[in-house]
Amino acid sequence: RVVPLNTWVLISNFKLAYNLQRRPDGTFNRDLSEFLDRRVPANINPVDGVFSFDHVDGATGLLNRVYQPSSLNEAQWGMVDLEKPLSTTEIVPVIVFFHGGSFTHSSANSAIYDTFCRRLVSLCKAVVVSVNYRRSPEHRYPCAYDDGWAALKWVKSRTWLQSGKDSNVHVYLAGDSSGGNIAHHVAVRAAEADVEVLGNILLHPMFGGQKRTESEKRLDGKYFVTLHDRDWYWRAYLPDGEDRDHPACNPFGPRGRSLEGLKFPKSLVVVAGLDLIQDWQLAYVEGLKKSGQEVKLLFLEKATIGFYFLPNNNHFYCLMEEIKNFVNPNC
Amino acid sequence: MVLYDSATLGGSCSGSSSSSSSSKPPPLQQRQQTQQDIDGLLAGAGYRVRSSELRKVAQRLERLETAMVNSPADLSQLASDTIHYNPSDLASWVDSLLSEFIQPPTCPSEFIMDPETNQTVVSDAWTTAEPHMPQVHQNISYEQQSLNNQLTVDNQLTVVTAMEEDSGIRLVHMLMTCAECVQRGDFSLATSCLEDMQGLLTRVNTVCGIGKVAGHFIDALSRRIFQGIGGGSINGGSAYENEILYHHFYEACPYLKFAHFTANQAILEAFDGHDCVHVVDFNLMHGLQWPALIQALALRPGGPPLLRLTGIGPPSPDGRDSLREIGLRLAELARSVNVRFAFRGVAASRLEDVKPWMLQVNPKESVAVNSIMQLHRLLGSDLNRNSPIETVLSWIRSLNPKIMTVVEQEANHNQPGFLDRFTEALHYYSTMFDSLEACTVQPNKALAEIYIQREIANVVSCEGSARVERHEPLCKWRTRLSGAGFRPLHLGSNAYKQASMLLTLFSAEGYSVEENDGCLTLGWHSRPLIAASAWQAVSDGTVDFPA
Repeated sequence: RVVPLNTWVLISNFKLAYNLQRRPDGTFNRDLSEFLDRRVPANINPVDGVFSFDHVDGATGLLNRVYQPSSLNEAQWGMVDLEKPLSTTEIVPVIVFFHGGSFTHSSANSAIYDTFCRRLVSLCKAVVVSVNYRRSPEHRYPCAYDDGWAALKWVKSRTWLQSGKDSNVHVYLAGDSSGGNIAHHVAVRAAEADVEVLGNILLHPMFGGQKRTESEKRLDGKYFVTLHDRDWYWRAYLPDGEDRDHPACNPFGPRGRSLEGLKFPKSLVVVAGLDLIQDWQLAYVEGLKKSGQEVKLLFLEKATIGFYFLPNNNHFYCLMEEIKNFVNPNC
Repeated sequence: MVLYDSATLGGSCSGSSSSSSSSKPPPLQQRQQTQQDIDGLLAGAGYRVRSSELRKVAQRLERLETAMVNSPADLSQLASDTIHYNPSDLASWVDSLLSEFIQPPTCPSEFIMDPETNQTVVSDAWTTAEPHMPQVHQNISYEQQSLNNQLTVDNQLTVVTAMEEDSGIRLVHMLMTCAECVQRGDFSLATSCLEDMQGLLTRVNTVCGIGKVAGHFIDALSRRIFQGIGGGSINGGSAYENEILYHHFYEACPYLKFAHFTANQAILEAFDGHDCVHVVDFNLMHGLQWPALIQALALRPGGPPLLRLTGIGPPSPDGRDSLREIGLRLAELARSVNVRFAFRGVAASRLEDVKPWMLQVNPKESVAVNSIMQLHRLLGSDLNRNSPIETVLSWIRSLNPKIMTVVEQEANHNQPGFLDRFTEALHYYSTMFDSLEACTVQPNKALAEIYIQREIANVVSCEGSARVERHEPLCKWRTRLSGAGFRPLHLGSNAYKQASMLLTLFSAEGYSVEENDGCLTLGWHSRPLIAASAWQAVSDGTVDFPA
């Protein structure tokens, strides 16, 4: 096995559970999915230096979960002051995080993502806002992007998320798998609306296209993921009758557009060497470069998808270090 | 490792949020002990799994996947109808799902052995639709062997066995389908079957059990489909190679030792009272059979006879005279035990090329003809001349041997229909590979497997003169040999007792010696795999000398 045993158990469990939830006719057993998903509530009391609380977005009714490092002053534990900024002197990056799940699975309060966001806060010295976007197939494109955009605007307008001498909310967009895809499209929208995003962090983002790439053929079914399930999720997310060259799926494909001239944030794109869709991710990196945008590729040759769920491998620590440096460029 | 607790404020460790808060928590010490074994990282992901159980859970997940792959009905429909247990208790959740999938209503895996006829009876559901399927011995024997060899812990044992069961049955199914396509000449469908099987092989244990045997049969089918029926490299191994493989097969399992022992007993008895004896060995190899006979003759009451040994074997291409080398070694041994000994080597690529005059049989000597797995090679018919088997049997008879010892594979691998042959071979070699699991000595075991693999390849992928492994069962040999003017010699209950005893001393449990109307068979559990018999030419009043 190329992954530690507990990682293998975790991801295989997801794989099999997801197999049970997807139906061949394109419908989804949401009840079973909700039942099987392991969820955890927020905790205003710090655990390992991180506390969290939920905020209901008035427009969507969805919970966005905020994670913050606990105050050095123990007397302030268990309280959130929504009047004061995060800091008036230092810049505290706020990472707006979109969880993965191929647009269909998981939530902001899924245990795996709650744990991941907590680790992000600890290791990267950031505040994290995890967005609970609406999922397919009940809510197709462009719902996830709309929800992401709404969350970004909400975050940008919170005074208690401001920091630094310029009293600004220093926002980064991040996401894994479908979350990475959402981060990209929200960043495009932000750039077009002149809303400043300081950086994008895309963790094996979910992209695709009509043609079958070499990595897809080579790795199909080899490391937890099959082309068959990838196709299912795209069919569930994209509008009816659309194919995978739709720009949501293939932003630099035949129907895509160049981002040249756009004030697009710098990107950190993380590609797992055992991910079957890596060719699409690498093409995305190329597309950004061709558009004259700043992008750094972190290629983790021996990593499988989901390597970051458990901190039991080098890839995890390497990733966290990269993210920390990415969002704290002056440190 | 601090467990992230979601249920209570204040950060106390009480495990997953699914635990009941109304019951009294267990004593602190006990709780801590239990907590310590829980995988902390998976707990952070919402799953409670004991670290010590991780491997078991992993295996069960693999098993579940296989079961899901094999599940004929709509997977998601089954999922909806299932009662799901607490998903946080991953081990139980996986097990509960497994019980849904392993015994679905349309399970195709019922095989029953009819104790009277020893034939496989296929359950009703399959009689009309499917071709006759061999019983896969893997399940029972693997479990038994594992218990004997203590390969794995109990829990893992049943998991692995059942996993083999599902994929094993599926593989057998697919093998039969592929063979059937080959028989019909539908090579494109056969090719896609092959691809499916290759895929399934990646999910099956190919180190032992059905996965290993299936792998060899898939290879053989592949050869047949892509390289044609001429044999090619697997059958064209050099004589030297073949001897090495044969030797390792000899060491790894008792079949050849049984053959030699039984034949030697019979020859010894036949030579009783004779002073000039001549043994003709149809396939000398490394002469492994003869030291024991030489020593037995040395010790016989009244003293040893003059022993001549004529060894037949393929010519050595590199100028070595390997036959002579073996002969010299045997001569050395004979000298050391004071047995007068003479050796002659007859080099021939095929047994049918040997002419009786080459053997230089002296009319005064008693002849024993010894054929260990050679007669079946003569069963390929050449339409231009007499069938080789008839020719050879005829000149053997003309030598008027005191005894002819015949050992043959107890299998029906010479049927005209490909599918029948394939089915029989799958059955036979599965059993043989099963028995080989008892051997743990390397490289004996690995090379013995290659030896068997070559046989499989010949049976499955060759036709015409290239197909030499034309095994026929004892009943057919009886008919054939009787028809050729031979009568059976009873091997005797003494031989039976001694063979049984030797087996219990030197081999694993599972092997069985059986007496079959004066002949002896050695097999694995209840399936005979090799049969030894002895014959004498029927006297017709005249003495025939070779021309």
